[in-house]
Amino acid sequence: MEKKLGLYICEGCSIGESLNIEKLTNIGKNALKVPVVKSHFALCGKEGIDLIKNDIQSEGVNTIVLAACSSRIKYEEFDFPGSLVERIPLRELAVWVQEEKSEMQIAAEDYIKMHVIKAQKGDIPEPYMMETVKTILVIGGGMAGMSSALQSANLGYPVVLVEKEAQLGGFVNKLYKKIPTAEYYTEPLIVDTEIDKVVKEVESHPNIKVYKSAKVEKTDGQPGAYDVTISSNGSEEVVKIGAIVLAAGWRPYDATKLDHLGYGKFKDVVTNIEFEEIARKSGNKGKITRPSDGKEAKKVAFIQCAGQRDPNHLSYCSAMCCATSLKQAKYVRQNQDAVAMILYKDIRTPGRLEFYYKEAQNDAGVMLTKGEVTGVSDAGRGNLYVEMENSLLGEKVNVEADLVVLATGVVPATLDDPILNLQYRQGLGLPDLDLYDGFADSNFICFQYETRRTGVYAAGCVRQPMNMAEAQEDAAGAALKAVQCVEHVAKGIAVHPRAWDMTYPDPFMQRCTSCKRCTEECPFGAIDEDEKGTPFFKPGRCRRCATCMGACPERIVSFKDYHVDMIGSMLKNASVPEDEDEPRIFVLCCENDAYPAVDTAALQKIKINHAVRFVQLRCLGSTNLVWIADAFSRGVDGLLLLGCKYGENYQCHFAKGSELANYRLGKVQETLDRLQLEADRVQMVQLAIDEYEKIPDIINEFVDKVKEIGPNPFKGF
Amino acid sequence: MPDVNRILVIGGGFSGLTTAVDAAETGAEVIVVEKNPYLGGRVAQLNKYFPKLCPPLCGLEINFRRIKTNANIAFHTMAEVESISGGPGDYNVTIKANPRYVNDNCVACNACAEACPAERPNDYNFGMNTSKAAYLPFNQAFPQKYVIDANYCKGDCGKACLDACKYNAIDLDMKPEAINIKVDSIVAATGWNPYDAKKMDNLGFGNVKNVITNMMMERLSAPNGPTGGKIIRPSDGKPVQSIAFVQCAGSRDEKHLPFCSYICCLASLKQTTYIREQNPDSKAYIFYIDIRTPGRYEKFFWKVKEDQNVSLIKGKVAKITQDVDSDDVIVEAEDMLTGNKIRTKVDMVVLATGMEPAGASNKVKGVKYNDDGFALAGPGIFPTGCSKNPMDVARSGQDATGAVIKAIAAGNFKGQGR
Amino acid sequence: MAEKVISPDLKFVKEVIASGGGDLKKCYQCSTCTVVCNVTPDTKPFPRKEMLYAQWGMKDKLISNPDIWLCHQCSDCTAYCPRGAKPGEVLGAVRKVSIKHYSPTPLASMVGDPKFLLILLAIPVLLFLSYIVPKGYLDFSAIPRGENGAIVYAKFMPVFPNIDVTFGAAALFAVVCFAVGIMKYWKEMTVNAGLTKWGMAAKGNIFETIYKTIVEIMAHKRFQKCNVTKARSTSHLMVFYAFIGLAITTTWAIVYLYGHEFLSIPKIGIFNFGESPYPLYDPMKLLGNASALALLIGITLVILNRMKNASKAGIGSYFDWLFLFVVFMIMATGIFSEVFRLLNIAGLAYPTYFTHLVFVFFLFAYAPFSKMAHMVYRATAMVFAKHVQREEQS
Repeated sequence: MEKKLGLYICEGCSIGESLNIEKLTNIGKNALKVPVVKSHFALCGKEGIDLIKNDIQSEGVNTIVLAACSSRIKYEEFDFPGSLVERIPLRELAVWVQEEKSEMQIAAEDYIKMHVIKAQKGDIPEPYMMETVKTILVIGGGMAGMSSALQSANLGYPVVLVEKEAQLGGFVNKLYKKIPTAEYYTEPLIVDTEIDKVVKEVESHPNIKVYKSAKVEKTDGQPGAYDVTISSNGSEEVVKIGAIVLAAGWRPYDATKLDHLGYGKFKDVVTNIEFEEIARKSGNKGKITRPSDGKEAKKVAFIQCAGQRDPNHLSYCSAMCCATSLKQAKYVRQNQDAVAMILYKDIRTPGRLEFYYKEAQNDAGVMLTKGEVTGVSDAGRGNLYVEMENSLLGEKVNVEADLVVLATGVVPATLDDPILNLQYRQGLGLPDLDLYDGFADSNFICFQYETRRTGVYAAGCVRQPMNMAEAQEDAAGAALKAVQCVEHVAKGIAVHPRAWDMTYPDPFMQRCTSCKRCTEECPFGAIDEDEKGTPFFKPGRCRRCATCMGACPERIVSFKDYHVDMIGSMLKNASVPEDEDEPRIFVLCCENDAYPAVDTAALQKIKINHAVRFVQLRCLGSTNLVWIADAFSRGVDGLLLLGCKYGENYQCHFAKGSELANYRLGKVQETLDRLQLEADRVQMVQLAIDEYEKIPDIINEFVDKVKEIGPNPFKGF
Repeated sequence: MPDVNRILVIGGGFSGLTTAVDAAETGAEVIVVEKNPYLGGRVAQLNKYFPKLCPPLCGLEINFRRIKTNANIAFHTMAEVESISGGPGDYNVTIKANPRYVNDNCVACNACAEACPAERPNDYNFGMNTSKAAYLPFNQAFPQKYVIDANYCKGDCGKACLDACKYNAIDLDMKPEAINIKVDSIVAATGWNPYDAKKMDNLGFGNVKNVITNMMMERLSAPNGPTGGKIIRPSDGKPVQSIAFVQCAGSRDEKHLPFCSYICCLASLKQTTYIREQNPDSKAYIFYIDIRTPGRYEKFFWKVKEDQNVSLIKGKVAKITQDVDSDDVIVEAEDMLTGNKIRTKVDMVVLATGMEPAGASNKVKGVKYNDDGFALAGPGIFPTGCSKNPMDVARSGQDATGAVIKAIAAGNFKGQGR
Repeated sequence: MAEKVISPDLKFVKEVIASGGGDLKKCYQCSTCTVVCNVTPDTKPFPRKEMLYAQWGMKDKLISNPDIWLCHQCSDCTAYCPRGAKPGEVLGAVRKVSIKHYSPTPLASMVGDPKFLLILLAIPVLLFLSYIVPKGYLDFSAIPRGENGAIVYAKFMPVFPNIDVTFGAAALFAVVCFAVGIMKYWKEMTVNAGLTKWGMAAKGNIFETIYKTIVEIMAHKRFQKCNVTKARSTSHLMVFYAFIGLAITTTWAIVYLYGHEFLSIPKIGIFNFGESPYPLYDPMKLLGNASALALLIGITLVILNRMKNASKAGIGSYFDWLFLFVVFMIMATGIFSEVFRLLNIAGLAYPTYFTHLVFVFFLFAYAPFSKMAHMVYRATAMVFAKHVQREEQS
């Protein structure tokens, strides 16, 4: 489509009083050759909007450059469907943050030039269309998996459920009773699991196909078009899949590692899972019998955190064991002469589960105390001592028991098995699992289902330690994300976080040198490669962060509205002061966090050093080193990158963007050496969205440093 | 007849926004009703999230951007649901939109606030400072639109504001407006309020100087808070050297909130990092019954515990008194592991007050609640987040996403074109 | 150090629950109770640890523990307990079990159990009936009268031997039972104090400690520290001094009677040595009536306070209410006996006086097993606590 630009300069919000609008208009018309250039007192008012709409209609303007305010405001007014809209935050960056009127004008001219060129180089996005399916694959037939399957199937989506065991139900099959889920004080404290009902519903659902004794051998392709190889009972089948719910569950922590608690040494030391089996065998007779001699257990001690919250075993808390032990105490108390003793570090029954604690505890034969269990020893007469220190019952006490239950913890299935067997260049499983103790968790507090593998959403204990009720809720969320994903890829739109974005990476493959940087660096594993290293982009996996664009030394990766040349041209088209004491510095900032911080500073009318010009990037990960050369060859004195915090608790919405930008800067020396420039002219600073007050200092410090280095020798060339 | 689901989301806090964004991105049409003049709810008042210690606005900003770019989401601020009738697939809802006295022409230029002669207690900062009666609720508020507080902008105040605005954005004659909509299903994400700390007569809030709540501590520590993020005590502005956190201040207490509020242990652990980072010599004491850092939050607990200047004392504080000679505060507890009653003198006390579901004080007509005020699910009505159970931000997000699939299913999903 | 073996005694738990500690198991060990308690020492304070011991059925840690008696059941703990575990009531229940434990007779179990109430009442009823039935006094007109046909209770139920021997024997029985119980209690406390190591040895003069304890009890200092049941300090003080007043009155009456009988002391001015009834202006009579009035007001206040604070402090157990009932009945029947006597209404006077005697017997004879025993056990515990410096000797 032929593009026709319109530049609209707003005079409102003191822009008009501060700037020479006529001069700006002339720059647009003459220097930038924009066919339609207009100014208005308040563009966002009805009159202003009508003016633009009229030009769209009668003049055929389809690329609108608004030199007015930040894109964080007036988004409804400045929405022109079908047109490319470029917003220049003139009010904020040219007026509010500047101190001197003269500087305001220079800044306004620069920003107009930069953004008009950006608009000239951009194109209206078109979605990436491919043939997709909407089938949801659920891996794991436990409570979480079955719930996810039912939720998606009930919406009408075809579901394929893969369970490794011969029957559905997962760990619930092992339970004697479960904790009721409604109001605890109105119900009995232990109720039947009724797992058979759920299994039956799943197995008879017309939209669900169940594979039992089955395993995912291979997951090839991309969201919307996965080819998943499922093996079951010796045969293999390839199924087309749209998105995946990973509900592979958990296993109990290996109790043989808990020999200090007597496991393996004493027959009457059992795990909580084994205790469920004991209860299933003898519980209905109203008593619990112990393994060693089949005698009735009348003094049952529960050791909480048997492995959990222990640096030598599991560093986390398994979240479910406190309530489970309270439940199991009620098994013991089916015999009114028996006592259950729960030895805890902290009782963790958060939220409304506190009611369960209270009700379960309110029983003559349920005893609890805090203490550090140090061991289990023989008490003679077939009994055991649980040795405890720093307990509320005394500094050093031995609790006598005839059966000891270890409340062992949860180990996620993903700890040592990729499960998904993704045929991705970056590996078979989910990356970063070590950050989450092997759980398929999200790094994002706000976006719990986001992993670094698009189209894969984890639910239940494979994601986080949780109880059965929580797993069912979790399953609903993961199912929704899977549904959302198949709907988006079908329309060629990105998923989280750029869920509005219809652009996609479109590499110019003829110039590709197969250097593999993009395939290595893509945070989402969206790019595979052949034996020669030639990359294959899988847009369905892509989150549109443009890290690949930043990584590519050949600058061949482009999006319709975002590419290397576009930003490079912006950097090449700002003014460079002739005065040697007046440096020109570019600040490349992440549009998700750093730029909103700058915008907030501007809103507060906080003054920022006039030497800088801000450029917004999709993500700092898209920073291409060629921009440094572009800028410095034009006489720019310094380049500052403002991006999200990285490291273990990274804040980058694209996981690796800011970290990769920093990594690339480590290699910038080479480029700068070639230009015979000092490495200190380029720096990266981590900035969170709420740290807007720090911006003036960060920038002044950098400007001072650049001044100290001296002017760019290319100045004036 | 539109071929999409229409979902009403009551509450524009973290849960409501997550529901709205996820539903809209799945193809539903969403109407959000928020009582505050801004979206973001309770988390917009937080300084940082545990365990990552990252700012809430980071995630909010992304969600705001998704709202801005998604035509399927409409929202009403300063609004409440007046009535709900009908059933799943055919709900009639009346929304009452209260006057903002500022219309869509507002460009957030701050001229009205500069001209406004009246001040009001700043509720965003729990009254710890004031704002002009014409104000932007906070500097990263969305929508970026000013509000006039008619309770404080009286007499000539309105005219002063009106005259300052060049964009005809102020309309002092605005009246409450009734909006009728039809939806297929409803998600109640009405959130929570901090429990009124005055109700615990032994904990001194309101009587003893320098006793604040955990939510006040968030504002006190936030860069956009009343002190610009400096943790100083309210009575005399002294930088806080020693601080005591009183866990379960109202929670797990059948005389107040009988449930555990889930977040308070982690919130206090988090808040120790605020003070410890700001003042390397400072000392923090956490008095607790049980430290509840479930799941992988345990590691955050360990990290805080490693700090030598943070003491954890098992024993609930049940008495707080003013020091006789100073503005210091004395907290009294039994250190259970030594078995002695202790009195600790500190500069400031933070009560880890719990979450009271919004339904305890303000029930939406047509939504059912249990005795504690937690919202209950009904046909086509799905509570989510802290309106149904105390939970942290992460679980609220997860739960809100889950609520979407239920809401869509209840409205007979039509968007799925196989 | 040898590790202590913990082996819960479920029976003991059930006993405490049955004795009025019904909410015991709700305690989750937050220690609010200990902090709001104004009468506990700071080191090893109560009642949080007692709650845990009771939950675990650790009988030996409780019944011989002086702390259970240092508690004056202010009920501040109960009022602030976040779980509604009612520590005040639990300690009351533990005290009841402790009284029972140290009581040398099975009467203790009976006093605490409503199903034995009739049997316990039947004993004095039958006893007193056995005095009057043979004389045909069930027919009130057969009872001799005094001057001017005035009702004279001494002619209905002679002071000697019927009243004095009966009550003398009852009192002796009580004293012996108390003595046995207290000695055992003191011994076990001493043993436990050595074991539990408060780190303080007994020092100072035991008599001085006893003296200080008495002074403290007389001043009711501890009650004044209560918050929720603040009003109880006054009401309990009234009841307490009313009992002292009545004790003095009784002694005084004995002096009048036997002083006259055996030492032939005549009436001296206002002092009416001789047989009852005594004129209303007699100082002994004045003291007696004043005490009775104080008891009436005191016990009524106690009951009203209990009802008023029931939501915060708990309503109390059968054991408590039985005691209140008995005291109330003694006071009421005592006053009405006098009123009916003065009004000369025989049909009401004799039955009321009879009932009065029955309840006085109940109070005396069962004192070591009823709540009345608290007086002795608490005083002992206070002396012990001061003696081992568990408490300041203030």
